[in-house]
Amino acid sequence: MIEIHHVHKGFEQVEAVKDVSLHVQKGSIYGLLGSNGAGKTTLLKMLAGIYKPDDGDIFIEGEPIFENVKLKKKLLFLPDNPYFFPHATIQQMAQFYRDVYPGWNEERFWQLQEWFSIDVQQKIQRMSKGMQRQAAFWLVFSVMPDVLILDEPFDGLDAVMRKKMKNLLVQDVAERNMTVFISSHNLREVEDLCDHVGILHNGEMIMEREIDDLKADVHKIQVAFRDGIPSSFLTGLQVVYQEQRGRVLLCIVRGNREEVDAYIQRFAPVIFDVLPLTLEEIFVYEMGRIGYAIESVMV
Amino acid sequence: MLSKALWFNRSIWLQHFRNIGWIAIVHLLLLLAIVPLPIMMAYTNGKNQLDYLRGLKNVFDISAPFQGMLVFTIPVLLGIFLFRYMQVKQSADYMHSLPFRRESLFTQHMMLGGMILLVPLIFTALVVSVLCYWLPLDRIASADIVLWIAEVFLMEMFVFAVSVFVGMLTGISVLQGIFAYILFLFPAGIFVLVLTNMRYVLAGFAADYYLNANIEKIVPFIRFIELSMRDFSLQEAIGYLFLTGLCIVMALWMYRKRPSEAANQALAFPILRPVFLFGVPFCFMLVGGIYFREVMNGSFGWILFGYMVFSIIGFLVAEMVIEKTWRVFHKWKGYVYFLLPMLLVGTVLYFDLTGYEKRMPKLADIEKVYFGDSVSRFDIDTQQREHHSLIEQPNQFLSSKENIQNVYIFHEQLIANKPTLPSPFADTKRVVIGYVLKNGDRLIRVYDVPTDPYMPFYKQIIESNEYKQNYYFILREKEVVPIRQVTIMMGDERFKEIVLSDPKEISGFMEGLKNDLRQESAESILKNHESWGTIELLQSDGDIIYVTWKKTYANIEKWLSRQKLLPNHR
Repeated sequence: MIEIHHVHKGFEQVEAVKDVSLHVQKGSIYGLLGSNGAGKTTLLKMLAGIYKPDDGDIFIEGEPIFENVKLKKKLLFLPDNPYFFPHATIQQMAQFYRDVYPGWNEERFWQLQEWFSIDVQQKIQRMSKGMQRQAAFWLVFSVMPDVLILDEPFDGLDAVMRKKMKNLLVQDVAERNMTVFISSHNLREVEDLCDHVGILHNGEMIMEREIDDLKADVHKIQVAFRDGIPSSFLTGLQVVYQEQRGRVLLCIVRGNREEVDAYIQRFAPVIFDVLPLTLEEIFVYEMGRIGYAIESVMV
Repeated sequence: MLSKALWFNRSIWLQHFRNIGWIAIVHLLLLLAIVPLPIMMAYTNGKNQLDYLRGLKNVFDISAPFQGMLVFTIPVLLGIFLFRYMQVKQSADYMHSLPFRRESLFTQHMMLGGMILLVPLIFTALVVSVLCYWLPLDRIASADIVLWIAEVFLMEMFVFAVSVFVGMLTGISVLQGIFAYILFLFPAGIFVLVLTNMRYVLAGFAADYYLNANIEKIVPFIRFIELSMRDFSLQEAIGYLFLTGLCIVMALWMYRKRPSEAANQALAFPILRPVFLFGVPFCFMLVGGIYFREVMNGSFGWILFGYMVFSIIGFLVAEMVIEKTWRVFHKWKGYVYFLLPMLLVGTVLYFDLTGYEKRMPKLADIEKVYFGDSVSRFDIDTQQREHHSLIEQPNQFLSSKENIQNVYIFHEQLIANKPTLPSPFADTKRVVIGYVLKNGDRLIRVYDVPTDPYMPFYKQIIESNEYKQNYYFILREKEVVPIRQVTIMMGDERFKEIVLSDPKEISGFMEGLKNDLRQESAESILKNHESWGTIELLQSDGDIIYVTWKKTYANIEKWLSRQKLLPNHR
């Protein structure tokens, strides 16, 4: 659905995005993570056909997106600071979207009014930041795009609204096979939403994983043995991280769950627990492995 | 259908009209206030104003200067506001994320802009037509009104196109406005700046000659105001039409290339940076030279100082605009890229490596020479009779072999001396030497030199018969009709004027006067010597010739005293 091949983009002396390649399948939700200034917004704007890459290609449904009217009619970009025409009301903006986007769904627009409970006659620029973002979401969901690109979408929304928006997103992805590309500087915010995650750091894609694979492949275990840790124990495991707590060995290992289980059972541990691992922890360890400290990558 | 889709999208029009519709209204109100309103006011002011109304030749006549101000502000504003969306980051990103190609956005905006200019014009013209029908605006015909719409619309579209064009170059609306006005003045301005400064560094450079060529014609604002007297010629109309089209095509071309992220950048394209960092200090440098010469009356050293200081200021200003901060003083290194080529150009000019200063035609190739203190007549073909001849003509073509040689020798001496810029307080005279060669080529040089050291050269030329004949109108026998009366007026009020009307007396006096003029020395002609008064010669065709009665004129002195006409105690 979305294919990015070796894309570069620089502004004057700064290279904001360096040789980024990625692939997003139709109907999936891709989370782009990174700290401020990592190049997320630049990448998103190239994806939305606003910026033209200096080098490399971006294809959506196999066609380049830049200046592609046909594709842009099915693609919507919601920036971190939504824009509305000066003094426009929601009704006027809705009229505009109705004319511009063929996918506009009038019925849905009025349905969603119950979700948002904002007066359509109100001038958007007089609303609070959170309300403006809601208005933006309202319009976006009424357009029913095939591809939705969201830049830090949940900033400024309260917890209830955040949940509602996520539900709407997931619902659209499930029902219409919409493809979503979300950027965030906060992993916790998107971990329950995305099925793929990429981490951008200083313009470079340093890691890309499928979340289910990640969770399936990484395990946090604690083991203890009657006579101390057998010397050959660790050699048979792919240890990402280890820590000795008294007699208990805490480590994070990679590998197939059953194989790891079977391997450890052979050493007859007195304690053997597999602990839940948050996505954040996985990233901390994974990134440590490839040489990044998570603090330098995400706030 | 396809072309319709390209330029018309209802929502875009509606949305933008909501934003900038006010410009159309302001345009209309101002037009009504400037054009029909003064007519109505004049009419209601009563009978004595009717002559004013009858005297109006065309619509421009009503208020050309105000129309000019309108034509040169509204379209600039329109260009700024219409394309404001691309100068603000948020809206630029938004507009470019919409499913429109840039060509389509551009076309829609230009069409809307054209309408905003045209519709109020047509409405105003209708009002004026109605007034013409009812009021005694006898000299304004409907053709005048149609022409008025065409000319105002052409000029407004030109200004609008320039505003849009420069808008593509910059990402800041304020700069868009500033650049637009600079661009209107730029062609004339740079012409004056370069030529004037050339005079400082190139001895003999005839800046005045090139500056003579009606520069104000290429300042669009001045040309517009003159429309009340002179309509556009076909060439001018085509010229403006072409420039308008060129600006629009270039603007579209740049808009397609222009990155969205140019919003809020002083220069939209990185390639403009060096152009700007070179061009601004260059113009400042030229202004600095003129300032230190013409305003501060500085010597060549001070002019160099002006070049240096002003170009540094210009460079810093350019950096400040680009960086959008005043703290750019650490960026001085870029100035070197300006300084080095300038030093090179300066060296080439100063040491005359092109040979300009020493260039002279071969003596044998010269058909005639031009000699005088002004370049004004160099282009006048001597075959063609001038409408009026001066009584004293210091600027003339000389074609006798001796005079060609005399002027040539004078010129050689000037080249050898290479007169530098004179102090403004020095007593100098402008020497203009021009050549017309046998093959038709022309060459002209101008020098400012003190008279005295060059007097021997002057004497050779000025005291020649050919020069005198050209210089004094009354020595040209063929052109002077008989004199009917001579009135000699003393400068001193105590003495009565002497009037000669007897033909015998007149011919005797004239004989003496002509001899005086023929014998007059170069010193007497070049330096204003003391005079007794003025001699008034009434010709048979009614024209009067005035001749200064210089104290050096011995022949008439003798003649008058012989006739006992001179007062005793002068």
